[in-house]
Amino acid sequence: MNFSVVLNQFWPLLISGLALGFIYVLISLGYTMVYGVLRLINFANSEIFMVGTFATVIVSRYFFHFDQNTDPLHGFRLFYTMGACLIASMLMSGVTAVMVELIAYRRLRAKGTNRLASLISAIGTSIMLQEGVRILTHSTPMSNPRLLRKFGAITIGDVNTPNNVVIRNDILLVIVFAAALFFAVDRFVSKTLLGKAIRAVSMSEETSRLMGINLNRVISATFLIGGFMTGAAAFLYETVYENTKYNVGFSIGLAAFTAAVLGGIGNLRGAFFGGLTLGLLEVFIAAVLGTQWKSVTVFVVLVLVLLFKPNGLFGEAVQQSRV
Amino acid sequence: MLNIRDKGAEIWEGWNRPTRSTFVIGLIAVVMMLPYAGNFSFTNILNTPISSYQAVLVYPVGMFVLMALGLNIVVGKSGLLDLGYVAFFAIGAYTAAIMGTHFHWNTWECLPLGMALAMLSGVLLGLPTLRLRGDYLAIVTLGFGEIVRIVAVNNPSIGGPNGIANVPNPPKTLGVSFGLDHMESFFWVVVIMILLIIWMVRRFTARRPGRAWEAIRQDEDVAALMGVSTLKYKIWSFSIGAAIGGAAGVIFASKSMYVAPDMFSFNISVLILSCVVFGGMGNIWGVILGGTLLAYIPERIRFISNARQFVFGVALVLIMNIRPDGLLPRKKREKITKAGE
Amino acid sequence: MNKNSKRVLAVVAASGLVLASVALSSANAATKSVTLVYQGPLTGTDAQTGQDELLGAKTAVAIYNATNPAVTVKLITADDQGEGAVAGTVAPGIAANKAVVGVVGPAYSGASIASFPSYKSTGLTMVSPSATRVTLTDPKSADNGYPFFHRVVGNDALQGPAVVRWSTKGVTSPKVYVIDDQTPYGTGLRDAALDYIKATKVSLVGKDSVAQKTSDYSATVAKIKSAGANVVIYTGYYPDGGQLAKALDDASWKGTFAGGDGVLNDAYIGVAGKAAAEGSKFTAPAVPFEIAASDAQQAAFTKATGLKTAAGHVYVTETFNATNVFLACIKQGKTSRAGIQLCVSTGTFYGLDGKTVLKFTRFGEVVGGAPVGGFQVVNGTIKYFGAV
Repeated sequence: MNFSVVLNQFWPLLISGLALGFIYVLISLGYTMVYGVLRLINFANSEIFMVGTFATVIVSRYFFHFDQNTDPLHGFRLFYTMGACLIASMLMSGVTAVMVELIAYRRLRAKGTNRLASLISAIGTSIMLQEGVRILTHSTPMSNPRLLRKFGAITIGDVNTPNNVVIRNDILLVIVFAAALFFAVDRFVSKTLLGKAIRAVSMSEETSRLMGINLNRVISATFLIGGFMTGAAAFLYETVYENTKYNVGFSIGLAAFTAAVLGGIGNLRGAFFGGLTLGLLEVFIAAVLGTQWKSVTVFVVLVLVLLFKPNGLFGEAVQQSRV
Repeated sequence: MLNIRDKGAEIWEGWNRPTRSTFVIGLIAVVMMLPYAGNFSFTNILNTPISSYQAVLVYPVGMFVLMALGLNIVVGKSGLLDLGYVAFFAIGAYTAAIMGTHFHWNTWECLPLGMALAMLSGVLLGLPTLRLRGDYLAIVTLGFGEIVRIVAVNNPSIGGPNGIANVPNPPKTLGVSFGLDHMESFFWVVVIMILLIIWMVRRFTARRPGRAWEAIRQDEDVAALMGVSTLKYKIWSFSIGAAIGGAAGVIFASKSMYVAPDMFSFNISVLILSCVVFGGMGNIWGVILGGTLLAYIPERIRFISNARQFVFGVALVLIMNIRPDGLLPRKKREKITKAGE
Repeated sequence: MNKNSKRVLAVVAASGLVLASVALSSANAATKSVTLVYQGPLTGTDAQTGQDELLGAKTAVAIYNATNPAVTVKLITADDQGEGAVAGTVAPGIAANKAVVGVVGPAYSGASIASFPSYKSTGLTMVSPSATRVTLTDPKSADNGYPFFHRVVGNDALQGPAVVRWSTKGVTSPKVYVIDDQTPYGTGLRDAALDYIKATKVSLVGKDSVAQKTSDYSATVAKIKSAGANVVIYTGYYPDGGQLAKALDDASWKGTFAGGDGVLNDAYIGVAGKAAAEGSKFTAPAVPFEIAASDAQQAAFTKATGLKTAAGHVYVTETFNATNVFLACIKQGKTSRAGIQLCVSTGTFYGLDGKTVLKFTRFGEVVGGAPVGGFQVVNGTIKYFGAV
C-alpha cells in the first residue's frame, strides 16, 4: 500500500488514467456496437486494433519514410502526415472488421446456428490475423517515429512543486479527439437513418427485417463503424505509446472488453463511462497496490459491480442510446 | 450433408446387445493400444514429427479430451459460457505440485484433494456469478482464469513465475509403473478417467440433473417457472466441470513433473472451448473427437512449424463455417423424457 | 445400455476420415550428416525470442557448412513455445530422434526443467543460449541438468550485482528503484540485484512488477517520481524496457535508466527514442552480434537469414556461440551423443570474436562466469565499456 504516491502524483495519475480511459472508450465501442446488433462478443476486435496500429506505423515508416532519427514535424506537414496515418488506421481497421464479419459471422448467421459457433470462428479469425502478422513482421516489435514533438501544452501551478499539473499535447490530443469521436458516433447513432436502423436491429432483428431494413447492410455498417473507432484508437495509441507488436491487442482488447461490460455491454454511453472508469481504476490501483495486482483488482471490482448491478453500471438504464 | 452421427446411430440401433458389448470392449481395447500405434509401419502415419507421439497422446490429446468433457457439462449441457476453465486445471495442478513436493503425497492422494479444491473454487465463484446472464458470466470466468494465473505469478511461496519443479510421478500401482519412459501408463489413466466421465455424464443426462440442465440451456426463465431450481443446478454443473478440470490438472502435474503459471494461460481456456464447439457441443462423442483433433493436428503439422498456429486458425474458421454445429452435432432435441433406460 | 452410445460408431467413422486426411511428411538425413536441434519458442506469445535466437544458430551452421566439412550439419527446429507444458511433449520426441546429437537450447528455464528428464535419460547434450535460472546448474538443486546441461550465458547471480554496480557508478547518493517484468528471467535477475543492494547498503527507494506487454507505465512512472529515485533498474526485455524509459523521459524524469542483457539491444534505442535512450546503461555477459561480429560474420548473417542486421534481435551472439560449441566438437570428428557430451563438457571453445574463451564447469556454467560487460548509450549508439 502506497498512498503517498496518490497525494504526490495525483494529477499526473489522473491525466494519464483519463488518456488510457479514452483509448479504451474507442476500442470498447468496437465490442459494444457489435454486441448491440448481434448479441455476440466480437472476439477479433483486439486483432482489429492490432492491425490498426501497424497501419499507422507502416504509413509513417514506409510511405513517408520517417524513422527514429526524423525530427518532429511542424505545421501543415505534421497535420497531413498525422491525418494520413489516422485515415490509414481507421480504414485498415474498418476493412478488417468488415472482413471479420464476412468470414467469421455472416455465413453462420445465415444458417441461424448457435452463438458459440460464431464465437469459435471469431477466435479462429483472431488466431489467423495474429499469427499472420507475426509471420510477416518476423515477430519483432515495430516502433512509430515520433512525428509530434511532445511538450506540456497546459501547465497549471508552479512547475517547481511536485503537485503542478502538466498536460502533454499528445495526451490532450487523445482526450479531445476521442471525446469528439465518441460524441460524433453517439449523434450518428441517434440521429441518422443508418444509426436508427442500427438501433432498430439491436432492439429486434425480426421486426426490423419486417420493416424493410437490410440486415446484412446494417450489420456490416456496424462492424465498419466499430472498426473505424478501434482504428482511431490504434492511431492515438501509436501517438502516445509509439510501439506495436503482433500481440499488442491481447491485453488492451481484454481491458476494453472489460470496460464495455463494466459500463453495460451493448450500451454506447455505458462504454464511455466504463472505459473512463477502467482507465482511472487501472492507473490508481497500479500506483497504490503495485502494478502486479492491477488486473486482479480490476476483475474483483468488475465482479462486485456485476453483483449489485447485473447489467453493468449503465446497463438497461439508458435505453434510448442503446445501439 | 452427410450426418455421421445419425448414420452411426442407425447402425448401432441395428445391433443386438452382445454385438454392442463386443464392439464397446473392442473399441476400448483399440484406444488403450494407441500408444503403441506409432511403432508399426502401417500405423506410423499417426506418429508426430519432432514431438513424442506417446507424450502427445497424454498431453495435449488426452488432457484436452478430458477437460473438454468437463467443460462440455458446463457449456454444452447447461449452456453456461465459461472462458476461464483453465483456472480449475491450474488449481488441480498446483495442488498436486504443492502436496507432492512439500508433503510428499502421492498422486492418488492428491487427486481427490485437487478435485475437491477445484470444485470448491467452482462453488465459490459460481455462487455470486451464476446469477448473471450469458456474456457477463463469460467475462467473469475469463477474469477468474487470469486471476488464478496472476496470483500464482505474484506468490514467491509457490515459486512465482518459476513455478514448482520435481513434482513426483505417481508410484507404481497395480503393477503399472509411471515415468518418462512409461507415457502409456499415463494415457491409460486418462482413458479410464474419460470412461468414468462418459459413464457419469450419460447417467446424469437421463436423470433429473440432466433434464434440469437441458431445460436451463433451452430457456432459463421457463425452466425457473416450471420449478427447476436453476441456481442449484447451474452450480452443480459448474462445480462438476471444475472437479474434472482439477483432476486433469493433478494428472498433468505428475506427468510433466513441473508446473509454472504460464502453462495456464487464457489460450488453454480458448482451446478447450474450441474443442467442445468444434466437435459438437453437448454431444460427448463429438467433444471427444473435437478434443482429439484440435490437440493432435497442431502436433502433426509441426513440420510447418512457423505457420502451424496460422493453419490452425484457418482450420477453425473453415470447419465452423462448414459445420456450425460441430463435427458430430447433438440431436436437434435431446431425448429428455425417457428417464433411465 | 443407453441408445446414445450408438454414437461410438460415428467416432470410429470420423477417425477414419482423419487418418486419411493427415499428410505424410518425413525426410531422412543424408549420409555423413548429423543433426542439431534448436529448441525454443517459435510460435505463440514468446515467439520473438526463439525466432531471434534461431538467426544466430542458422548463421553459425551456415558458416560451418560453407567450409565443406567432412560431416555436414543439419539444423532442425523444435518449437516448445517457451512453455514447460509443450516442452514436456517435444523433448521426448527429440530425444528419440537418433540423428540428433545436440540441442541448442532450451531457450527458457521453465522449458529446460521440463526437458531435462528426457535428455538426461538419452544422453543428449544441451547448450543453452538464454536459460539463466540459477538452479539449472546448481549441484544442490534437484532440478539441475548435470551433466548434460550447459549454458554460454552468465547466470543471474553474476549479472545482478553487475547491473547494480554499473548503474550506480558515478551517481552521487544513488536512490535505486527496481522494476521487473514478472518473467522467470526478470524476477531471477531482480532477486539477484536486490540481494546485492541489501548486502552493499545501497539505498533502495521502491520496487514494482509490471507484466510484459503492458502499454501504460504511467502509474510506475508516478511512483518512481514520488519516491525520488535517481536510478531505475529494469530487469526484463527491451520492448518493455524501451517503453518504460520513454514514459520516464516523457514525464521529464531525470536519472539513470539501466537494464540487463534483456534490454541491451540496438532496437532499445528505437523503442525508447533517441532522447530517452541517451545515457541508458546495460550489462551483459555477451556483446550484441551487430556490435561484435566481423564483416565476414555480418555477411554470413545476412546470407543465412536474409536480414540486413542483427539489431533488434535478442540473444543472437549467445545462440551463435552455443551452436559453435557443438560445431567445434563435430569438426573434431565427434558425431555420437556420448562423444559430443565429453567434448562439450571438457573442451575449450571461443566466442564470436574468436578470442573470448568459453569453457564449462562440471555443472555446465561458463568457467569464470563469463565476465559481465558494461554498456551505455552514447550519442545514439551503444558503447562497450569493458567488464564491470
